Amino acid sequence: MSLKTICAVAACKLTRSTLRVLKRGGTALPGKAARVFDPEVLRSVSRGMEIIVVTGTNGKTTTCGMLVNALKESGRECLANRSGANLLSGVTAELTCNATWTGKPKTHYAVIECDEGALKQVAPLINPKVIVVTNLFRDQLDRYGEVMHTLDELRKGVKGVPDSILCLNADDSLTGSLAGDVSNRVVYYGMDTPVGDQKDPALSDAKYCIRCGAEYRYHYHTYAHLGGYYCPKCGYSRPDADVAITGISQMTAQGSRCSLRIAQENAPQTEMEMSVGLPAVYNLYNAAAAVSAYTAFGLPSSEIIDSLATVHSSFGRMENFTLGETPLQMILVKNPAGCTQALEYLAAIGKPYRAVFCLNDRTADGHDISWIWDADYEKICGDENLRGILVAGDRAEDMQLRLKYAGADTDRIRLVREPKDTLDWIRESDVPVFALPNYTSMLELRDAVRKETGAKEFWE
Amino acid sequence: MELKICHLYPEVLNLYGDRGNILCMTRRLEKRGISCSVKSVGIGDEDDLTGYDLFFIGGGQDFEQEVLLNDLGKGKGASIRSAVEDGKTFLCICGGYQMMGHYYQTHEGVRCQFLGAVDLYTVGDKMRMIGNYAFTLGEESGGGCVVGFENHSGRTYLGEGVRSLGTIVKGYGNNGEDKTEGVRFRNLFGSYSHGPILPKNPQLCDHILKTALEYKYGGAELAPLDDRMELLAHDRVLKAYLN
Ligand SMILES: [Zn+2]
Repeated sequence: MSLKTICAVAACKLTRSTLRVLKRGGTALPGKAARVFDPEVLRSVSRGMEIIVVTGTNGKTTTCGMLVNALKESGRECLANRSGANLLSGVTAELTCNATWTGKPKTHYAVIECDEGALKQVAPLINPKVIVVTNLFRDQLDRYGEVMHTLDELRKGVKGVPDSILCLNADDSLTGSLAGDVSNRVVYYGMDTPVGDQKDPALSDAKYCIRCGAEYRYHYHTYAHLGGYYCPKCGYSRPDADVAITGISQMTAQGSRCSLRIAQENAPQTEMEMSVGLPAVYNLYNAAAAVSAYTAFGLPSSEIIDSLATVHSSFGRMENFTLGETPLQMILVKNPAGCTQALEYLAAIGKPYRAVFCLNDRTADGHDISWIWDADYEKICGDENLRGILVAGDRAEDMQLRLKYAGADTDRIRLVREPKDTLDWIRESDVPVFALPNYTSMLELRDAVRKETGAKEFWE
Repeated sequence: MELKICHLYPEVLNLYGDRGNILCMTRRLEKRGISCSVKSVGIGDEDDLTGYDLFFIGGGQDFEQEVLLNDLGKGKGASIRSAVEDGKTFLCICGGYQMMGHYYQTHEGVRCQFLGAVDLYTVGDKMRMIGNYAFTLGEESGGGCVVGFENHSGRTYLGEGVRSLGTIVKGYGNNGEDKTEGVRFRNLFGSYSHGPILPKNPQLCDHILKTALEYKYGGAELAPLDDRMELLAHDRVLKAYLN
């Protein structure tokens, strides 16, 4: 172990404990401190570990949570980073602080959430056994420019680690295209069955064939641009899924039940029932992603399938609280595809509720908030179960205007700036409240709720 | 009275909440009892555009613009040029705005021929010009201050004697150099502002609608609307980001 590695580890640990003493949840700074002494410290502190990396636009955190849950429930210790720490410095901090003082890993397994743009830096250093790419949607446009650019970034990331097994969403024509460009072994997961109203989505992030430019056709849709796509001109089409959801028998606000087919190399194909303890279609995708990653990792599929029934919501993703007497569910929304899915979930609640929309435009959110015009707030604004709306955050006025255009009763919209006022409004509600904040406004709101209810700090 | 709105290439040029602009125009017409229809005209659709009064074209991804250029070459390009020349009203945003010019030249020097409906051209640059920004409208575009969000790597330069849509107060605008933003040519309004531009800037929306109504009916008065929420959003950007 080199001296610079030892210095890096020490710098990392000391920075983190100083921040903790100061009551600050430093997730990136300790990593930066470590990299001052040894830019490649991440390579040392992850040596010999078996690691799953999860990247992609939506579902990273939940998929990681599912994998961690399965590993822990089956008695395997593992490390994981928090969603706010998914860039190089954050991943470095997490692995370095959890290494011994001489820089050796203390656990054998890790599940690492990684930002799409950071994959090319992180992956070569930690050499993951499995990389999951959840999907690709428009997100934080001002950071990455465009979806195609993000795809390029992912491609660079995967090319740096040809031995990693790639788990790809079969239903996503964008990330599916990675398979043709890299030499990695690829495993697909997806949905063999249509969901929803089967209307061609008005806004699609991938309408035209990524190979030849012809318009895709679909055997069936699931959501956004996902589904059974095929190109009539060049033949590029949805590959068969190795881990496939073949039917959905139940979908409620508590979770879903579905049938699952798993095809593995050198093993007979199996079919089984699966319960997922989180609601909405996108969590079925997250579950399928987690199952495919877990089996590609070489662990028994039964372990993860059993654990998915009782999976907990992760940080701000369908997380439940009670404020005073009011049930509150927090659903992080960051982009049009995810937001529209969350709104569809609200529209299906079937009971009276209030909704909170928090919108910030800080660096971690992306300064550009124009995506709110591409999300289907129309789905709930005419819903008679929607009994009240509160808008909050740095861009509350923009949110309010969007809801006006979506047909909301403007007399029923309250605008506040402070999380404290949001809490008061939630507390006085006599119906359940659903909060749909974007990233930094979720951190703020969650922090305010936590102080009142005693939920965990985000670095705990 | 009735306005027929043509949404050009919505399937590819829809990157930055552009449908908010269509929503804004239709809503503000309906509230005044003026009927309107919106038709999407996309790749492979008919080239005849003579039946429309108002055109909207948004921004898109580079990858998809190739598909689009083919379609423009097949005949729609000529129809768009003559509609501009005839004085039909256009709102062109970002990529759609660049497309009205002569060409786009990439940073590496590759030149992509565009419509040439307006005397302007765009040159790609490595640095993206991103952020909330504000500009004042010229008199001929109704005056007042517009707030928006820009995100472009192309620098646009207007031909001699071509008027800009406005003058930059804060931000980059056409090229980050000459303080111009957008273009105003005949009845075409071009801008880099997405976000979308119209909902937070109702005075500009009304000016564009009026332009189209005047062309068709020789005159139009638009009754005032309750724009409190619109102006709150407008003023918030101005106060919080652009002082
Ligand atoms: Zn094709």
